[in-house]
Amino acid sequence: MGRTVGIDLGTTYSLVAYVDRESKQPKCIPGPYGSALCPSVVSLDADGSIIVGEPARRRLLTQPERTIYSVKRLMGRGPADVAGELKIFPFRIDPGSESVIRVRLGDRVFTPPEISAFILRELKSWAEQYFGETVDKAVITVPAYFNDAQRQATKDAGRLAGLEVLRLVNEPTAAALAYGLHEAQRGLVAVYDFGGGTFDISVLKLISTDQGDIYQVLSTSGDTHLGGDDIDNELQRVAREEIRSQFGVDLAADPSAVQELRKALIAAKHELSLADQTTIRFPLSDRRIFTRMMKRPEFERLIAPVVERTMVPVKQALADAHMAPNRMEEVVLVGGSTRVPLVRQVVEEYFGRKPHAELNPDEVVALGAAVQANILETGVAGMLLLDVTPLSLGIETMGGVVAKIIPRNSTIPASAQEMFTTGVDKQTGIDIHVLQGERELARDCRSLARFQLKVPPGPAGLARVEVKFLIDASGILQVAARDLRSGLQNAIEVQPSYGLGDAEIEKMLEESIEYAEQDFTERQLIEARTEAETILRATEKTLAHPEVEIDATERRAIDTAKAALQQAIAGRDYKLIRARIDELNSVTTPLAERIMNHALATALEGKNLDNE
Amino acid sequence: MTASSTMSTASASCWSCGAATSGAHFCAKCGKIQPLPKGTDYFAFFGLPQKLRIDSADLEKRFHSLSWKLHPDNFVRASENERELSLARSSELNDAYRALSTPLGRVEYLLAHNGMRKEGQKKQQAPPELLEEVFELNESLDELREAREAGGDAASTAKVREKLQDAEKTFTEKLEDVDAQLDSISAEWDAVIDADNNEATRRALMDRMNEILNRRSYIRNLVNKVAAELAA
Repeated sequence: MGRTVGIDLGTTYSLVAYVDRESKQPKCIPGPYGSALCPSVVSLDADGSIIVGEPARRRLLTQPERTIYSVKRLMGRGPADVAGELKIFPFRIDPGSESVIRVRLGDRVFTPPEISAFILRELKSWAEQYFGETVDKAVITVPAYFNDAQRQATKDAGRLAGLEVLRLVNEPTAAALAYGLHEAQRGLVAVYDFGGGTFDISVLKLISTDQGDIYQVLSTSGDTHLGGDDIDNELQRVAREEIRSQFGVDLAADPSAVQELRKALIAAKHELSLADQTTIRFPLSDRRIFTRMMKRPEFERLIAPVVERTMVPVKQALADAHMAPNRMEEVVLVGGSTRVPLVRQVVEEYFGRKPHAELNPDEVVALGAAVQANILETGVAGMLLLDVTPLSLGIETMGGVVAKIIPRNSTIPASAQEMFTTGVDKQTGIDIHVLQGERELARDCRSLARFQLKVPPGPAGLARVEVKFLIDASGILQVAARDLRSGLQNAIEVQPSYGLGDAEIEKMLEESIEYAEQDFTERQLIEARTEAETILRATEKTLAHPEVEIDATERRAIDTAKAALQQAIAGRDYKLIRARIDELNSVTTPLAERIMNHALATALEGKNLDNE
Repeated sequence: MTASSTMSTASASCWSCGAATSGAHFCAKCGKIQPLPKGTDYFAFFGLPQKLRIDSADLEKRFHSLSWKLHPDNFVRASENERELSLARSSELNDAYRALSTPLGRVEYLLAHNGMRKEGQKKQQAPPELLEEVFELNESLDELREAREAGGDAASTAKVREKLQDAEKTFTEKLEDVDAQLDSISAEWDAVIDADNNEATRRALMDRMNEILNRRSYIRNLVNKVAAELAA
């Protein structure tokens, strides 16, 4: 049985963490570049292999059309939802996309869950290398305000990456879990989570009971399209406008330049969190240089509307919890965007207290995910998370009006039972449309799925089908129906409005196994090449040894084997490389033995051989 | 979302060891989690009598104590059957707590559970004692809407706004009166439960509660409507 990890699948960065068995503390796992932050960037190489993380991020500049970032913004969404994003984000949506978006990378198309799966697979391999053990289960965090389709897409991504997703945990709740462990605090806590692409606010009550600590979420609200990206876009808008008016250059046609500019602006944003001013310097392709000084007050004026937008959900969450801002005993800041001084100032003013930010805002969500993973893996109680569903669940009734059956901020798991019957004689099916959202009309809410209950034909009103809607502990909806007259289970085919059907997932799973093989091959190839280079260098060194005699036949055999290995390295067949390594080894073994004997003899004579 | 394959059904004996269970959360003999009996009484779920005035701290304590036992976290490595039972039980627990955690919710649940909640044919019609005030209020609302459509500025609507604000205050106070009535009828109900628990008396009380709820929802809608118009 493999290990269980906690994963923060973020818009900008993703992290993997675990709870150390000895210290009982959660820790983030570093990747091959030493950092625990894996940029959520995926690139398709020209030879068809997938590159994830830091190397993929570098390719944003060199191969933007083969590389994608911020894919989380597309999870569980339909093409119409993201039309606005396309003006700013260089996503290349495939024209064939209908209910599920397909993104083009080079000559191939992928769904957002597939791209997220590449990131998860990368983190899984970090953890496997770190433990030296298989990792096959995970707790993955999602923005609290993610709807059913977005959650399902995240779960699908886990499955595609070969992970059993034990639970989806809301990001602010995970942060509270990490903080609770760290600070052992009790009482009312507000978690303000402003990340790269999403904003969440959660109000929690931390209670000590005889059995342990309960983390009960009272309310949550947010905006799944509000984050640091929006601050960057604000800067981008200003810079591109000025570049256009100063130089008459429109960057829209040059994706590499847009990425280059974005990088410069993000650096400027980071600097303005620490310093009072910064200078943006951006070389145009014709070597002219755009230089722009920006002071903090101007920066704050520019981004104030973005920060102000976070206060709408904040007020909603407090109203839903029936709390005034000053009732909060702690305010916790999470997410990279809370490093912006204006954000801290606005939060402090609203709650009337200094927010907590002791834990690294980039890591705290992953740490909390690790805590929940540990609870589920070890079964050790002493901590219980009671989360809520962020959006009301409803069904469409006459006239397109939505009847709410599970209100928002209900503790999950939550359920509702509804009775359905036929309206006309001989009707054989009852259509049900499930929605999520707060608005009155179906067309203003998020369509989750449509399905039909099959009933035996009869007079109108005779059929009685009971449908049970259940939102599980991950916030994902399950539906079951029972024909009350026959007592039989009523089979339902659920077609998600925005998401992958079971058959599609199966197909992708097959493909992802091919990818797993490809990844394996890639790793084998790299290892074989490295070993080949080592043995080739060693052979050179041996041949150059002054006190070793080699006859012509032996030298010819070695030269032939060397050439064969060098040729194999140029190819991509790791098995061939291995075979050539063995061949070279076998022809050089007698020679190596002679050197050993010679060294031994020399040592016995008291001579120092170390003079080459 | 996904279609769930099974739907738990209950029987009077433990699915695992066959001992009698009578709707308990766990089998007294083997300790296994049990399916939900049909039409669970939310009060009984918490081990409480059907009384309406509840100490909310005590209810919360019961909720937390049951959460520890029933939550799916405790069943991650249990059999699939037990996992589903935990999901059903813990969702029922949360539904029950949601329903019973407010005085209004308890009255609504009590009536619904006993088949006594009747929203009434004349839902949209004002209760007689409010007729006059509702008539005036609707006039003011029309006036404000007309003024707004005619492009009237804040100054020209100031007077009607003031009138509406007064009305909002009046009706909010009436809502408080209704809540006080609910509280006193709840006390009456509890006394009946404690005393002879007479069926006819209970039905009569539930009829009265139903009327109060109808009046309450009428006034509530009115207040919401005024608030929405004032905010527009």
